[in-house]
Parts: sequence; C-alpha cells; structure tokens
Amino acid sequence: MTLNAHSSVCNLSALDRLNKTSIAEIAESWNGFCFSTEALLNGNGNPSCGPDFAPHEIFEKNCASKFWQNFDAYSNVGAPELCNDSMQDDEVQQVLCKALREISLEKQYQEKCLSILVHALQSYKDSTLEGRLTSDVGRAYPVPKYQLIVSSVLMTSLPRHFPEVLHWYFKGKLEELSTKMAGEYDDISEAQEKDDMDLDENPTLAYSTRDMDLDGCHHQRTFLENNRLVKNIGVVVHDLRSLGFTSLTEDAYASAIFLLLKAKVHDLAGEDYRSSVLESVKGWIQAVPLQFLRALLAYLGDSVSYDSPSSSLKSPLASQSSACYPGNGTPSEGLVRWQLRLEYFAYETLQDLRIAKLFEIIVDYPDSSPAIDDLKRCLEYTGQHSKLVDSFISALRYRLLTAGASTNDILLQYVSTIKALRTIDPAGVFLEAVGEPIREYLKGRKDTIKCIVTMLTDGTSGNPNGPGNTGDSLLEELNRNEENQDSTGMEDDINTDDKQAWVDAERWEPDPVEADPLKGSRHRRKVDILGMIVGIIGSKDQLVNEYRVMLAEKLLNKTDYDINSEIRTLELLKIHFGENSMQKCEIMLNDLIDSKRINTNVKATIAQPSQNGAEVREHGVSLDMLDATIISSNFWPPIQEEALNIPEPVDQLLSDYAKRFGEIKTPRKLQWKKNLGTVKLELQFGDREMQFTVAPVHASIIMQFQDQISWTSINLATAIGVPVDVLNRRINFWISKGILADSLGDDSNDHIYTLVDSMVDAGKTGLNSGSCEDLVGDEDGERSVASVEDQLRKEMTVYEKFITGMLTNFGSMALDRIHNTLKMFCVADPSYDKSLQQLQSFLSGLVVEEKLELRDGMYFLKK
Amino acid sequence: MTTMTRNNQDNSSNRASNVPATTAAKQPLPTAKTVDTQSVLKRLQSELMALMMSGDSGISAFPEDDNIFCWKGTITGSKDTVFEGTEYKLTLSFPTDYPFKPPKVKFETGVFHPNVDVYGNICLDILQDKWSSAYDVRTILLSIQSLLGEPNTSSPLNTQAAALWENQEEYRKMVQKLYKPSA
Repeated sequence: MTLNAHSSVCNLSALDRLNKTSIAEIAESWNGFCFSTEALLNGNGNPSCGPDFAPHEIFEKNCASKFWQNFDAYSNVGAPELCNDSMQDDEVQQVLCKALREISLEKQYQEKCLSILVHALQSYKDSTLEGRLTSDVGRAYPVPKYQLIVSSVLMTSLPRHFPEVLHWYFKGKLEELSTKMAGEYDDISEAQEKDDMDLDENPTLAYSTRDMDLDGCHHQRTFLENNRLVKNIGVVVHDLRSLGFTSLTEDAYASAIFLLLKAKVHDLAGEDYRSSVLESVKGWIQAVPLQFLRALLAYLGDSVSYDSPSSSLKSPLASQSSACYPGNGTPSEGLVRWQLRLEYFAYETLQDLRIAKLFEIIVDYPDSSPAIDDLKRCLEYTGQHSKLVDSFISALRYRLLTAGASTNDILLQYVSTIKALRTIDPAGVFLEAVGEPIREYLKGRKDTIKCIVTMLTDGTSGNPNGPGNTGDSLLEELNRNEENQDSTGMEDDINTDDKQAWVDAERWEPDPVEADPLKGSRHRRKVDILGMIVGIIGSKDQLVNEYRVMLAEKLLNKTDYDINSEIRTLELLKIHFGENSMQKCEIMLNDLIDSKRINTNVKATIAQPSQNGAEVREHGVSLDMLDATIISSNFWPPIQEEALNIPEPVDQLLSDYAKRFGEIKTPRKLQWKKNLGTVKLELQFGDREMQFTVAPVHASIIMQFQDQISWTSINLATAIGVPVDVLNRRINFWISKGILADSLGDDSNDHIYTLVDSMVDAGKTGLNSGSCEDLVGDEDGERSVASVEDQLRKEMTVYEKFITGMLTNFGSMALDRIHNTLKMFCVADPSYDKSLQQLQSFLSGLVVEEKLELRDGMYFLKK
Repeated sequence: MTTMTRNNQDNSSNRASNVPATTAAKQPLPTAKTVDTQSVLKRLQSELMALMMSGDSGISAFPEDDNIFCWKGTITGSKDTVFEGTEYKLTLSFPTDYPFKPPKVKFETGVFHPNVDVYGNICLDILQDKWSSAYDVRTILLSIQSLLGEPNTSSPLNTQAAALWENQEEYRKMVQKLYKPSA
C-alpha cells in the first residue's frame, strides 16, 4: 500500500520529464528508497538510528551538482564588461529561475519521499510496538534534519560566484521595477501608497480590490505588472530560502537595493545645489524599494528574516510611519526596520556627497542654501559632523589657503562659511574648528586688515570690483546685527568687557551630545560674523586703527563735505566696538562738519575786500574756489608731510584764507598741509580745454609750465620744492596724459620735460580731452595718511631701542622674558600691545638684519 | 672730589635752576617726602623711555626683573681713555622717595679706579650731597662714564689707583690686567 502511494506521487512530479535520464534517476532514487526502507526495516528495534540513511547523498549526487552547473557559465558574471549586458542579465535571471524551480521540485520530491518513509516507519512501528514512548521522535525529527542537510550540502558546494549571480539578478529586477515605478511615482504616488497598503495586507486580495476602486486604468496595468514582477522575485526568494539561502538572499537583495539607492541619490543630488533633494529621495524610498520590500515581505509571510525584532527597536520613525497610514494598521516591524535602514543609508550617502562638495556649495552659498539645508538634516540624522569638519578643512587647505587665492576671496569664503555653517550648526562648535585654519592663514597675510576694513566700509559705495560686493554682505551683516540687537536687546560679544566674558564663560555648559539643535536655543550662542572677523585680526584696536587711517584718507580726498555714508558706517561700527574706541573717528567726522561751517563763514568775509584780492583775480583764482578741510591733527592718524612749493598766487590765497580763519577763530591758527587735498584744474591749449582733478603736486608741476614750456627735472624739482626722484615719479601722470613730453637731457640723470604742442597732441589725446579725470590716489605712493604699516614700523623702532637696552644690560634673554619686560616697562605713548608671535617675527627680523643673534632660544646683541 | 665734564655741568646747572623751583612751587617740602609710589613709577618710566630714546653710546640701563626700582646699568670706557674697550656693569637702586633722594649706584664689575673701592662703591658728589632731582639716570650714567676718564685723585678711595694714575701707560696695563668682563 505504501509502495503504491509512493509511486503515484512519484509519477505526478516526474510525468513531464519522462526522458531517458529521468527514468534512470527515478530508478536510481527508487533503488535508494528501497535500500533505505530495507535498512530501516532491518534496524526496526532502533527508530532513532533510522534517519542515518543518506538521502542527502543521493541529493548531492543528483541535484546539487546539476544546480551549480547551471551557473558555471556565469562564473564571471561579476566582471564589469558583462554587467551592462542586458541579454546576459535576462539569461541569468531565466537560468536562475529555472534552476531554482528544478532544485526546489527535487527537494520537495525528496521531502515527500522522506515523509512517506517516515509514515511507513511510523505505521510499521505502530503495528509492531504499540505504546512505545519514542514514537513521536521518529516522526518529527527527519524533516528538519533533512533540510539542514540539504542546505549544508548546497553551502559546502557553493560556487564563489553564486552570490554575485544573485546580486545581479536582484539588481536587474529592482532596476526594472524602479524604472516602472519611477514614472508612476511622479503622478500618482498617493494612490500608489494606498494600494500598496492593500498589498501589504493581502497580496492576492489586492488584485480584486484594485479592480474596483481605481480610477485610471494605466497604472492599474503597471501595477499588475509590478505585482507580477514582485511575485516572480518573491518566488525566487522563496525558493532560495527553502534551500537554506536565507541570509545569502537577503544580503543579495539588500546590497542591490542599497546600490540602487546610492545611484538614485547620486542621480538626484548631482551637481545642483539650488534645490533640496532630500524630500524626493525619501519619496523615492517610499515609492520603490520600500514598496518592493513590502510586497516581498508580504509574499513571504513576513516572518522569516528578522530574528529578533524586539519592540524596543521601534524608533520615533516607526511611530511616524505608522501615523502615515492611518486605518491600515502599523506596517510590519521588518518593514520599519528596512525603512530606517534605507533612510539612514540615503542620509549618509547624501551627506557624504554634499560634504565632498561642501567647498563648492559654500562658494555659491546664498544660492546653494537648499543643499546646506539638506546637509543639515542629514547630519542631524547621522551625527557625523566630524567628517564634515575634516573633509572641509582639507578642502580648504588644498583649494583656498594657497598663495594664489586673493585675500578678498578668502575672506569672502570665510564669511560664506560662517553663514552656511551657522545654518548647520547654530552652536558654532564646528564652525570654530573649520574657521581655525582660515583664521590662522589670514593672520599670516599682510593685507588682511586692510581687506577687512575695505569690506566693512566700502559696502555702500557699490564698487564694481570684488571688494565692493564683499562689502555689501558685511555691511548687511552689520545692519542685521543692529536690528537683532534692537529686538533682543542682546549684548554684543565684542562689547562686553573681560569680566563679563569670564562670567559668561563660567556659566557655559556644553550642549548634551544628543541635544536637539532645534531646542538648543537656550544655549545657542550668537555667531557673530563681525566678531569672528575681528577675531582674525586679533584685537579690535587694530581694526579700528586701520579704519581710522582709511577714513582719514577718504575724508581728506573728499571735495565736498558729504559724509553721510561715513557717518552711517561709523554709527554701525560704534555699536560693535563701543563709543570709546571710535571716538577719534567721530572727531574726524566732526572736523569735516565743522570745516563745512567754517568754510562758509570764511567765505562770508570775502565781501570785505582784502588787500591782495585784485592780484588773485588776475590769475583767475579766488577764495570762492577754495574749500578747506580743517582737521584736529591730534585725533587724526599721522599725516604724511611732504614739502611742496605751491604756485605763488595759490599760496597767497591760502594765507589769505588762513588769515580770515584766524580772525574768525582766534586764537586758533590755520596751518596748511599743502601737499594734501585735490585740485580741479582746467588746461587750455588754444582751442581745446581739458579738465583734471589732481593732487596738489601735480597741479604745481603743471603750473610751472604756464610760463616756461620746457624744464629740466632738476630745475623743476627746485622750483616745486620736491626731491628729483619724487618729481620724476609724479610727473609721469602728465606724461601719461600726453600733456608733457619726456626727453633725456645732457646729463643722463637729468630729464627734460616739455609741454607737448597742442596741435600735435590733439589727435593723440583726443580721448582724454574734455573728460574729467579722477586720478587721486591712484598710486600707492600718494597716500596722504601714514599707513598702519608705517605707524607699526615707527612703534617697532621704539621697541627695538628697548630691546637693545635690556639686552645690553642683561646679556641674553629668552623671548618670553623680552615680551614680559616690554609689557612691563614699555608703557609710554605707543604702549607695547603686541602678541608673542608678533614680537618673535620682529625679533627674527632683527636677527636677519644682524642686530641680534639667536642661540639656544636666547637672544643676544650682535657685537 | 667733584669731577665732572664741562658738558654735564652745564646740563645739570640748567636743569637744577628750573626743576626744583617748579616742584617747590607746587608742593611744600614735607609732603614732597611722602610722594606716592605712583609718581615715582611714572618718573622712572619716563626716565627709562628718555634713556632708551636718547641713543647715547656707551651708557645703558634697564630695570631688572619686574622691579622698576632696581636697574642694571652698563657703561663702556670712553675712547682715548685708559678704560677704552672695557665694559662695566652697575646696579642702580632707587629709593621710594626718588627723585628727592639719589639712587644708590655701585659697580658690579671690578674696576681699577681712584674713586671706586673694591666693593664697587663710587665716590661721586652728585650721588651724595650734590644730588638734585634734576638729574636722571642718563645724567648719572654720563657722569660716571666721564668720571672713569677724569678721576679725582685728590680724595681717592683706591690709593693705589690714584698713585698709578700719573703713569697712563702703566695704568692702562693695570686696567687690562684686572678687567674681568661679565659673562
């Protein structure tokens, strides 16, 4: 009876392949079966030893080798040239499906054989040894054992390329699915989700429900296709699992999904920083991989792969996702875990992508803020801020902090960095780390202070070149901070004195690591761009000083008394640096305001005839044309003195003005700085007029040519009262304008300057004629105010004398001691305020000049 | 005992006529004794600044380690004197009522000189009874520098040196022999 039953089962499975080999196989397995039965019946007294017979031998011989043979052709499937071959893909897929089907059938068949055997044994035992206690063991034991044997047989004979094959299979299938779903996802993602949930609950039911409640038939069809696809995959996965390849399978499709996700993120994120991609990536995760997994897990019964989905693993995201699908119940735990994994992976991928390109992103910062926002959210999720810091710093060092980058560019990038990172990290911790190399680098640049001050003050002037644009943003920042202060009444960091800073520092508590940056406003420090920029310079005094010099330069070159923009800038600076530090600047501005008034007063006295008025008119210059800027020189930076003989009539005009000033403002006297200011003049050449705005020295030069057409440089220099080399430099202005011509004199050092004949140069300088040339201060040598460097040099000579003095008496001193001694005793007018580093560089300068010697860290006077 | 170059005398007499008059006008003498430390500090600081900026060759001094009341000085022997090519260290310690009292000045380097004893004590009138608040570190050092070349042999502290002074050649050899430059 048992034999009959067996053959019928056997026939059923084998009917469709009744060829020669099959028959041989059947015969063989039948023999095996008979043999085992025999063995079992012989060892009837001991049922537990029954399963020792070896069906796996047969299995191994018959199936495993055959199964693996199927894949031999694809042993090099992982090779890149084959990857892109879709034909190959399809073939792999087909072969895989087929082979799986076959081996599964084989396995089922053997399991059935086994169960029949067990049944037979059982009934035999039942009939012979009734009431035997061990009867259950015999029934339950063989099948799992058999399965274990099968999977271990397969595992041991597993070809190395099989995981690859699986990987490519899943990759191909997923890509297929993804392209199908991508189109769908765009327009009907909502409906899709709803349907997916149906699918999640009951995949077979989904077919029927969909037919009823869907409005469009297009995605109905695609959905069915997708479902079929998912089902195919499901079958494969199921077969693989039944063969014991559970973890292998999972690895394969997980890696395929991640690969696809990575490709998708890269595809979406790309090089475009102007749009946020995080949402679409998340949407895609929902639409493609999660849907696939949902279907797959549902198909497989959703219980096999996740061994311990403990409830504690439910993250906030889990509840969030369940909230998304009201009425459908919470998605299965496995799915939530998948979602978390996928999202984390997506965040991490996007974050890595963005961090790698952070430098570029920050370069076009205001436009790239969506990318910054994305990065911020990714980092909140992954917490890999240190990665950002490391990567960005190395990018900075490589790309920005090089000799080729202009200081302005570096500053601009610094400001953008501050702004961008402030978004990512409001507490400014990482900003501190990232800013450090930039600050250090900028400290080493000489023009840093100048650039910063230019950025700060030239904002409104709307310069077309770089600094102007940069200035805009900084001034904006100043303004915004001003507004912030109005609203929050927050005290500015720079303004607080040291004591207050100490108190603040003591109060400070670190934000807990897991603190939500959104809630951290209690601890949030204000990231003050201006403060961070001042931090580069070291002290606000230096900045204020530089600003004072620039302001002086600007004010002295003004031809009107319009200082509105300067007043505004000053007011803003006052907010940040305090009234006291800006006091001198304020006096300078007040001087300008006073000058305007005094100027008017002085001119009002013109009505009274002065004794030399007639003479003045003769030359066509009168007091009307003279505007004076009267400065309180104590409060101005040192003014560049330069001897200059100005033409007699103008000189007289000046003394006349000074006299009138003296009358109005007794006992004060006016002392002219004749080399400063600007002269508007008009040159007439017969039929032609040219207007220029020039420095007094230029005007003096050209006036000498009024009476004498040709001058030797030495004579001219004497007449004007400037050194010959200065004259030769300054006169280039007129030569470049084509007004004067330069030729060598008798002596090679002596030049002869001749007024160019008007007829000849008419064509040459036609372009310039009539235009008002504003060339004031176009050369660096023409600064009216001693630059900060000059002042510094002057200060340093004082220090040099002190250092010489102390070294004379103490023999040798270490850097520290020199620094401290200077701090202690050099307290008079330019009191010593340098840092140890500044002193060191100054000292090494003296060593280079061979004034000092450095041995073993001690400085000596060079004898 | 008083030996000073004409230059310094002119200098000091000019000042002596000016400065005490003004200080006396400002403050009655008793209160001047208890002058506050702050003004002493100021005075010494400005003297230091003046000394540093003066650029006199051969004389120098600087406060020692955080204490502005205690200075170290350096004097090199003037050209065309027997002390040419030698360098001497001194200490100057200022009293708290400086400049109403003179500072105590001593040679740290041994010097073979009629008016300097073996302990480095100097016999110089402006450092004793002829002191005036018009003097400052710079004039003291200049005076000592000139004292080296023009000793007062009539009231010597070092009689051997005074006796040898006549023979400049021998004296020079003696100076060279006894000269021990500080490290």
